[in-house]
Amino acid sequence: MKRFLETGNFAITEGAILAGCRFFSGYPITPATELAEAMSLRLPQVGGFYLQAEDECAAMHMCIGASLGGMKAMTATSGPGFILYADPYGWALGCETPLVVLNSGRVGPVSGITGAPGQGEFYLMRYPTQGGNFETICLAPSTAQECMAMTVEAFYLSERFRMPVSVLADQLITDGFEDISVPENDDEMKEMGLRVWPRKVCQGPEFYPYTDELDIPPVVLGHNTGGICSDWTPTVEGYDIEEVEAHHKHAYRLIYKVRNNRHLFNHLYEKKFMDDDPDLVVVSYGTPSRVVNTAVIKAREKGLKVGSLRLINLWPFPDEHFTRKTKYLSVELNWDGELVREVQRATPKDSEVHFLGTCGDLPTTPDLIEAFENLLKNEPLSRKGWVLEEW
Amino acid sequence: MEYRSSRITSKYLRSRKIPSTACSGCGLGMNHKIVVQAVDELGLEVADIVWGTSIGCAGRQTFATWKGDGFAGTHGRAYAIARGLRIALPPEKKIILTVGDGDAFGIGLMHLIHAARSNADMTVIVNDNLGYQSTGGQYGWTTPQGSHTDSSPYGMFEHNLMSEGMDVLEILKGAGATFLARHVAMDGARAVETVKRGILNRGFSLIHMPYPCPTNFGSRELGSRNQVNIYRWIEEQAAPLGQEKENTVWATGIWHDASNSRPEFHEMVHDTVEKIRRTGTL
Ligand SMILES: Cc1ncc(C[n+]2csc(CCOP(=O)(O)OP(=O)(O)O)c2C)c(N)n1
Ligand code: SF4
Ligand SMILES: [Mg+2]
Repeated sequence: MKRFLETGNFAITEGAILAGCRFFSGYPITPATELAEAMSLRLPQVGGFYLQAEDECAAMHMCIGASLGGMKAMTATSGPGFILYADPYGWALGCETPLVVLNSGRVGPVSGITGAPGQGEFYLMRYPTQGGNFETICLAPSTAQECMAMTVEAFYLSERFRMPVSVLADQLITDGFEDISVPENDDEMKEMGLRVWPRKVCQGPEFYPYTDELDIPPVVLGHNTGGICSDWTPTVEGYDIEEVEAHHKHAYRLIYKVRNNRHLFNHLYEKKFMDDDPDLVVVSYGTPSRVVNTAVIKAREKGLKVGSLRLINLWPFPDEHFTRKTKYLSVELNWDGELVREVQRATPKDSEVHFLGTCGDLPTTPDLIEAFENLLKNEPLSRKGWVLEEW
Repeated sequence: MEYRSSRITSKYLRSRKIPSTACSGCGLGMNHKIVVQAVDELGLEVADIVWGTSIGCAGRQTFATWKGDGFAGTHGRAYAIARGLRIALPPEKKIILTVGDGDAFGIGLMHLIHAARSNADMTVIVNDNLGYQSTGGQYGWTTPQGSHTDSSPYGMFEHNLMSEGMDVLEILKGAGATFLARHVAMDGARAVETVKRGILNRGFSLIHMPYPCPTNFGSRELGSRNQVNIYRWIEEQAAPLGQEKENTVWATGIWHDASNSRPEFHEMVHDTVEKIRRTGTL
């Protein structure tokens, strides 16, 4: 095991290499630029390829090409660039092309604040493209170490589900320096719970079987399997077809291969003080979780019965954590409230669901504890800054 | 030129997609045949080529016609996919793309320029039906000046990439393409020879091939779907390079041949990475 004081971007790069990624294409954008730079340095050292693209749309399409040619590939960006993935993301979902896509969230809309963390793309990660009729898988790490682990895991899942899998981080995690351990051999990888799935080649002739089964290898071109893939609804063999029934079957696969195999990733969450039926469950993901966890520990010391649920597997949304009727508080890095809507949907009818947002900066522990206290006393949240006069 | 259509069809094409569902009288099949014939005359096998296409008439009608491996990209992106694929595939595999004019010279032009810049080994056949035809017949970026289409009811008055002194092939030459040519679909054996040379270039080759669309372009510009009219109209306005007449829109032949004159993308990138891997530096 090698230890480093390094950034999340470094950790992601090492994770990708451990997972077998040998192709990266990206376009400069804060805070994902350093990841591209790290890839440009590290990939050639392991015989891999870094290609700067003319835009993010090209970056992800080049990754698609590399993946179609049999390589494990990855691209990374932030919100303004993620938008340009919409086109290739749909193609990769439909053609079932394994890929890893990283989004390091910053403050939006548009360029917003470039060097500050945001969580404005919670729903965009669920619906990164048009057309519907698919599920997406998204993992959200909250530390640099976890960035490495989730990158490895994303590659693993992308091969087994044969689809693009996304990692949602934010500016603080990818740019921040932390203690990172990088395994040096297979045993150490196993010890750290890192798993790798090799690239295999679909031999056909059924390249797009109508089934929810895992582990059907993807279409890889250049092996003369007769593999074909396109942006149209495929027949089982991959021919383009305009037919509602064929589309229904294809959509069934894209949706249910994920829904019916959630056991592969739905263990990815963290619970703190959740065993004694807390009176308030604080829900969060990414860096805000780090403040939430501290605040929850402090709140417990004060005798407040508060628990923390940190989501790592964001999509498909893990409804199973929300079966208890209690108070919920969603803590997010946005002012509009995104995760909270999903919590509202997933919790039992008449559950009390609250939202506490900040953006560009983390909430403070005292602010969070004050919020916990208010909610437990059935008092409204004081939302500093919501009324302009308060600024 | 010996007529070998049925033999090459059964050798290289999938019976499920041939004949295509293109409109009767569509000239796309002539372009398609020229390319497959070139492949055959070069003695290439099905396994030697990965065939990519775009969307639209040009893309969809040629998608999955090739017996071997193939893909169709989203609109305008096949060139970016092909560049990633070029890195991953062994260098001896050929990549042929059959795409539309809107795809290549409109939405995909930036990716096309970067494919030319990197001199990625691929042969791009731009099947130009003089506009956006599968969406019903709107003008495109190589539609002849003045043409009447569904989106230029008064005649196409904007300058485009075939206007005087503004040839799209000039842009691609400036971007570093190493083989550029233009032929109309009726050029037959001459076009086959050109496509062969394009495929043999280890680098980025593009052959611009205007072809007749009787259904949309022909019916709007010439007032009838009569195939003969649009075939004649294109033929009359095409002439071999150096023999242009006053009304020549398409000067045909090899436009720029710098075949094998500079490093090809796959080889250059692979050699460079290999050197860094071995020595830690360049
Ligand atoms: C991103 C996107 N924009 C628009 C379309 C709609 N569309 C489908 S086919 C087509 C025509 C493309 O023109 P061209 O490449 O010249 O092909 P043609 O149909 O003329 O052969 C268009 C615009 C699309 N499929 N995707
Ligand atoms: S619309 Fe034109 S280009 Fe398209 S298939 Fe019909 S004739 Fe051919
Ligand atoms: Mg066209």
